[in-house]
Amino acid sequence: MTRRASPRLEGYAVVAGVALVVSLALRRPELAVAAAPFALLLAFGLRPTERPRIHASFSLDEDRVLEGHEAAGRLEVVAESSVDRLELLLVLPSGVEVVEGRDAVALRLRRGEQRTIPLSVRCARWGLYDVGALELRARDPLRILVWEERVEPTHRLRAYPRGEELLRILPPRETQVFTGSEVARAKGDGIEYADIREYVPGDRLRSINWRASARRGTFVVNERHPERNTDVVLFVDSFADVRLEGRSTLDDAVRATATLASRYLERRDRVGLVTFGGVLRWLQPGMGPGQRLRLVETLLETGVEPTYTWRDVNVIPARILPPKALVLAITPLVDPRFVTTIADLRARGYDVAVVEVDPVPLVDAGRTERDRLAYRVWLLQREALRSRIVRLGIGVGRWTEDVELEAALEEVRTYRRRARLARV
Amino acid sequence: MACAAGLVLLALDEAGDVALVAGVRVGAVALLALVAGLVLGWSSFVPASLVLLGATYATHLAVDDAALDVRAPLVAAGLVVTAELAYWSLEERENVWGEPGDGLRRLGLVAVVALATTAVGAALIAFTGAVRAGGLGMDVLGAGAAAAVLFLVVLAVRRAPG
Repeated sequence: MTRRASPRLEGYAVVAGVALVVSLALRRPELAVAAAPFALLLAFGLRPTERPRIHASFSLDEDRVLEGHEAAGRLEVVAESSVDRLELLLVLPSGVEVVEGRDAVALRLRRGEQRTIPLSVRCARWGLYDVGALELRARDPLRILVWEERVEPTHRLRAYPRGEELLRILPPRETQVFTGSEVARAKGDGIEYADIREYVPGDRLRSINWRASARRGTFVVNERHPERNTDVVLFVDSFADVRLEGRSTLDDAVRATATLASRYLERRDRVGLVTFGGVLRWLQPGMGPGQRLRLVETLLETGVEPTYTWRDVNVIPARILPPKALVLAITPLVDPRFVTTIADLRARGYDVAVVEVDPVPLVDAGRTERDRLAYRVWLLQREALRSRIVRLGIGVGRWTEDVELEAALEEVRTYRRRARLARV
Repeated sequence: MACAAGLVLLALDEAGDVALVAGVRVGAVALLALVAGLVLGWSSFVPASLVLLGATYATHLAVDDAALDVRAPLVAAGLVVTAELAYWSLEERENVWGEPGDGLRRLGLVAVVALATTAVGAALIAFTGAVRAGGLGMDVLGAGAAAAVLFLVVLAVRRAPG
């Protein structure tokens, strides 16, 4: 522990020194009497004493929690020497708060005494948090000297994003070759009825539609749509984050991405991830619970890293964007680089859809007339940008505070029912 | 604050008119400095306030040229209690949750310090009264005390980390 002087030491030295000097100058012993207790307190406080030997640590019962949920933990202190007052402060990173117990406590410890202080923490926001940093401050009985020590974080707490309400997802237009839950456009072995055709040698007897055959006088077989899986690439915009009073477009985007990934993976679809911004992060498409965990872990590292370099689709490895994949972009449509990239993807023939995390409610219109004018111009620019994207054949669903993610996806579905994908 | 105000009253209790006017002004500034230090959380204002409180008493002693004041131990105790309570108040701003009985124990310690101060002060006053006949005795006492404080300050600076 590092020793330092408390404000008392300086203060008492000043008072004693001044009083004694004035006492001599005025030849008044009363002032020396007034200075004496301060000098004596200093003398007692500065006598050689044992350096406090304290071991403190913070531990958590779990290292993975869901955003908004509590994690139980405890502060443990062992004193190898007695301390009159030990102030123990748990330094938590921004986004983590104590919900039960105290993060700053003062203890009086005897030699060999051990204390355990239970407390619970909660992560208000998803992310990776280094917790366990402690600040120890030991004081002597006269509070003249202070010993301080900082304990570095010992735990990494992962707060996974909470899920959004979502019943239906956005189906990709094209399916892949593996069995899944999406009814393919192609005909083959499946459950969903597609059409009938004349029997050809090699057709299975069970495929014969006996009623239709009886009416036509020739053998007719049923055709069906097979159930196939799809490839989905979730494309998260991390160029910019619009934030206001605890709400943030990036936070919402990550929550939506985690929810969508879970829903697609439940259908045995292959899901990949690209977070496109100052730092490019990607995860190759895969399926299963393992992929879900990998995907969420990758999402936790998402943050806005400012960059002024121009980035386009060429920086994304080709294997991350498989052919016929649905590229589902989750973006506040604020940074032109991201908008250009999704337009580029569309031009390359990818099936692209956009969930717009609406930043408008998070932006103050301003007080002056000029600010309000700029705000209106910005809104108009956003409308123009949106219609430019829609003209490219990309469905845009607006997700705001008042509109559920489900409704935003329905907006995209409705658009895609009307606008057929142009074959490039 | 009440302790500091009481100290001003005690210091100026037997002051003459001139000393009273000057002492009240200095005392008011001392109280203002203490209030500012406590409200703003600036610990450097506390010794300034204490020095000014001491100056209030010194004004009375210097202007009125009174005989050896036997109330000096009480003034010393008042100064110590004011200082202890002011620093305690500043420490409490850190919002650290103490154990039950922590405050009472601290209060007890302050009371013991105040009593010890009074006792030591009374002994010093008695000693000073005994040697007052010769001015050299007081000079030696004052010089010794000043040297001791200087030694303590040097010791503290040398022991300070860094």
